Amino acid sequence: MNALRCVLTVAGNTMREAIRSRVLYTLLFFAILLIGTGSLLSTLSYVERERILQDVGLAAIRIFGVAIAIFVGIGLIHREVDRRTIYTILSKPISRTQFLVGKYLGLVATLWLQLAIMAAAFAGVSLLAEAPFGAGHLAALSLAGVEFAVVVAVATLFSSFTTPMLASLFATGLWAIGHLSRDLRQLGLQSNDVVFRHVAQVLHRCVPDLSAFDLTSQAVHGLPIAASDLWIPWIYGMGWVVVLLGIASFVFERRDFR
Amino acid sequence: MKSGVRDVVVVEALEKTFRAGLLGRKKKVLDGISFRVGDGEIFGFVGPNGAGKTTTLKVLMGLIRASAGRATILGHDVAESAFRRQIGFLPENPYFYEYLTGREILRFYARVSGVPRAEIDARATRLLEWVGLSHAADARLRTYSKGMLQRTGIAQALVHDPKVVFLDEPMSGLDPIGRKEIRDLVLRLRETGKTVFMNTHILSDVETVCDRVAIIVKGRIRYEGGTHDFLDEGECMSDLVLQAVPPALGERLEADRLVVRGRGDRIELRVRDKEVGELLQVALAAGARIVSVSPHRRSLEEIFLSAVAHQESASAAGMPR
Repeated sequence: MNALRCVLTVAGNTMREAIRSRVLYTLLFFAILLIGTGSLLSTLSYVERERILQDVGLAAIRIFGVAIAIFVGIGLIHREVDRRTIYTILSKPISRTQFLVGKYLGLVATLWLQLAIMAAAFAGVSLLAEAPFGAGHLAALSLAGVEFAVVVAVATLFSSFTTPMLASLFATGLWAIGHLSRDLRQLGLQSNDVVFRHVAQVLHRCVPDLSAFDLTSQAVHGLPIAASDLWIPWIYGMGWVVVLLGIASFVFERRDFR
Repeated sequence: MKSGVRDVVVVEALEKTFRAGLLGRKKKVLDGISFRVGDGEIFGFVGPNGAGKTTTLKVLMGLIRASAGRATILGHDVAESAFRRQIGFLPENPYFYEYLTGREILRFYARVSGVPRAEIDARATRLLEWVGLSHAADARLRTYSKGMLQRTGIAQALVHDPKVVFLDEPMSGLDPIGRKEIRDLVLRLRETGKTVFMNTHILSDVETVCDRVAIIVKGRIRYEGGTHDFLDEGECMSDLVLQAVPPALGERLEADRLVVRGRGDRIELRVRDKEVGELLQVALAAGARIVSVSPHRRSLEEIFLSAVAHQESASAAGMPR
């Protein structure tokens, strides 16, 4: 019970810190601006105006959400060590893992709050442009939230043992590979090069497949989305969160704070 | 240490080796240190910068893992976290979330420390008052002075009413008023029955507040014992300034090689502490005026050297240390 209280206290404080960050508001402002710009871009085309509007809007939400996840996530632990605020916290009856999980949950909660704000802006722009907004869009937004949770876990892992600069490089690299790994695996399967086939296969297994969280196309085109299209990626994403935080905790528990 | 006093902190053969540089060259920072802190004591852990004081404290706080040896607090291995409900820690130059107010930061630490929800607000208010920060309780920490942050640090260390309090250089970087305030707070901790472990390199702090000390130099304990035994080791000197000194007395003092500076009716002397009283009586009787008497504190380095020399001569003579 006390463990949960510790985790929630750290999470609450992380949310409070993130909400007071200017970087976050700047990114949120540009995200909403880009969602709004979608309606302007859609006027450039005579056909599929609604599709362009929603493509741009959902892409803006995902890109800015991931940007916030990486830029805030990479400093999540490092900032605490650098400012030495971690000394007083870890001298209290809280384990390092509880602290790490609390920091993680705080940032994920902040990102989901931001996602809700961006989703409301997206829904508003869609309704103004008389574009459809329904369950498919909500499903796509929900999986964007899972992708953010996975990316924050990646950033937290790197933040637990390296500098923000390296962590941002690693996290961005892993995010890019995560989006390409499915295509790479397909290429590998069609390739005659055994080494490339194996490398593509290993990459696909060892890196979160972030394209699994992309329902943009189905949502925008109004294609049917089965329940399994939602819950399987949710479980897959949460599985990766547990693995990534597990590794982060293993590293963090053994770290010396000099 | 008094017999029968329970050991609150026990450190035995503690070692810490860091790896530095690309080649991972080893550097031994703690070299088999051992000491004990008794219940209710104010224990001074003294040493020059880089001696290993903060590393020792970080091992005790679980922030650094020892390479070898054993450290326990209240019978618990320092790697555990649950027992930390019974200890408080003030790091050197403490940093806090500057976007929080003094009251908010205490609430935060109280929650993390497992203080019952119903007690948190009352305890935060009481502690802010105790450390003299009631007037700034609702101001953001970014507006606090260094002394105020130090007092906030002491308040957070006490928010869960711990039995043992660890302070890392609590007076460093403070002005004389700030140092006095912190010194008074440390003495008040003893009155409340808490055991205090204090890292410091300022001897006057040790002399004023500590019951026992351990000296660490280059990762090794050079001395452990009562503060006054430590400070009384060797001879201490005092500087005296006299005015309207009669020529006969002046000549006599010069002949005794006590005069450091000055001639004629105003002279400065350096004498052994134990001779100060006698000399003052002679000077007053001769009609001289006493301008000042200042105990001449030996530098920490001098006392370290003296402690080491004493230890070595004791070893050579086969005496118990």
